[in-house]
Amino acid sequence: MGRLTNRYPTKPMKTAAPVAATEIRFRSLFENTPELILYQNENSTILDANPAFLKLVEKPKDQVLNHQYDEFLPPEVRPLFKEKLAEAFTGRIVRFEMYASQGGSAPRHWDVVKVPLMEHGKVVGVHMVARDITEKTQSQDQILAQNKDLQQFTYIVSHNLRAPLANALGLVGLLGVEEADSPAFEHARTHLQVSLEQLDQVLQDMNTILAIRDKQGLAEPEDVPLAEIVLQVLQNLQDVVHECGGTVRVTIPDHFQVRGNRAYLYSSLFNLLSNSIKYRDAQRPLLVELTATGEEGQEKVITFADNGLGIDLAQAGADVFQLYKRFHPTHPGRGVGLYLVKTHVESMGGRIEVSSQVGEGTQFTITLP
Amino acid sequence: MYTLLIDDDPITIFLTERLLKHEGLSDTAASFQDAAEALTFLLKQITVGLVPQVVLLDLNMPLVSGWDFLDLLKGHEIQLQGHCLVYLLTSSVAPSDRARAGTYPLVAGLLHKPLDKGKIQQIRDHILPTAAAGA
Repeated sequence: MGRLTNRYPTKPMKTAAPVAATEIRFRSLFENTPELILYQNENSTILDANPAFLKLVEKPKDQVLNHQYDEFLPPEVRPLFKEKLAEAFTGRIVRFEMYASQGGSAPRHWDVVKVPLMEHGKVVGVHMVARDITEKTQSQDQILAQNKDLQQFTYIVSHNLRAPLANALGLVGLLGVEEADSPAFEHARTHLQVSLEQLDQVLQDMNTILAIRDKQGLAEPEDVPLAEIVLQVLQNLQDVVHECGGTVRVTIPDHFQVRGNRAYLYSSLFNLLSNSIKYRDAQRPLLVELTATGEEGQEKVITFADNGLGIDLAQAGADVFQLYKRFHPTHPGRGVGLYLVKTHVESMGGRIEVSSQVGEGTQFTITLP
Repeated sequence: MYTLLIDDDPITIFLTERLLKHEGLSDTAASFQDAAEALTFLLKQITVGLVPQVVLLDLNMPLVSGWDFLDLLKGHEIQLQGHCLVYLLTSSVAPSDRARAGTYPLVAGLLHKPLDKGKIQQIRDHILPTAAAGA
């Protein structure tokens, strides 16, 4: 081990001045780069480590040099490192990615390159350069997830465009064979009108949804007094609530504020309350309870519970918030409301969950940052 | 041709009924907008030995979808096989639907909406030899 240490990094200098300049340049790179640089022997002993590595593992140099690299790696990646080091010792440059903590650091994604150092045709040691690619990897994963979302969205949209379009095509064909001015002809004509209106409606939905997505990340969040928004929603729906003999109980602490967007909050709560009214249970008067909790500086939780028809979640599963999915086919509706609520909540950086019991009611929980 | 139509969309039902009528095939037809009701009806028809020759089944329906309907029918496949052909009539163009359709022995084909003369002819060609053999 000592022998190898001595061999590095000294080498007979042929022309003193240029080599010294090169040495300074490389030393500066070694000392200042944010990448981790290690020099190891065949037994994986660390013979040199740059300040970036020492900083990451939070150890002074003397507690790193002449230690096994394994001491700084979690057990699950040790075999991988052993294999890659052995490969580099055959004289090949080895490159791989891994996700691991080093020393006491949090786990990160690393792009690792191992470069053998040759002397007299023999590998005498291996340099490792590891670059932190965590942010890049995370944004890649995020893009992949978004891409999957968009694919699903496109599929749903294309289906919902095709359905009225196929009907319109069929009806146009039918108009050609039905006797003019017969009742069937008139029916076909009315249905054609409806189909084209449905087609138009889907495109309008797309505009609404894309407008929200466009603004995502652009709209500056603000502190919104929740009670004020709830009051607006109640005022606009009070006639309908009153007509069906319903009650809305609101429990919001004084001065309670959420971080978000006024219009999105209004639209979300309006949609939820409209649903509660629409899907109320005729067996009992509608009761809606809206409660807000969360301390200043912590996540805010808004629960919205009704005693309505409820949704069979075992059957609906992940579809509850899906675009154009409906759970009460006998009631009019388009399957857009809950999708919009979810889109609004998520564009404010929040999340929404649902629990429901058929015949008892539905509860939505909105969590905002 | 004894036909059972299952589609949650009333316009599709109207369109299909009219097309069958124009093709002279509407002698017996039953239509349902709710797949669960259609299932109850079909099971009753099995017990009295009057199963439809053709079922036109939509896939994307709320609560009980076309796939759910086929799954719920699994226990009765033996009673229907050879007497009853199920055609999926869908506005979906997802390739995965065709692959899934192949896993149900009762499903004779997948047709894209709208139904038209050509597609009805295709069903008729399929059904008539079956009907003749059954007679």
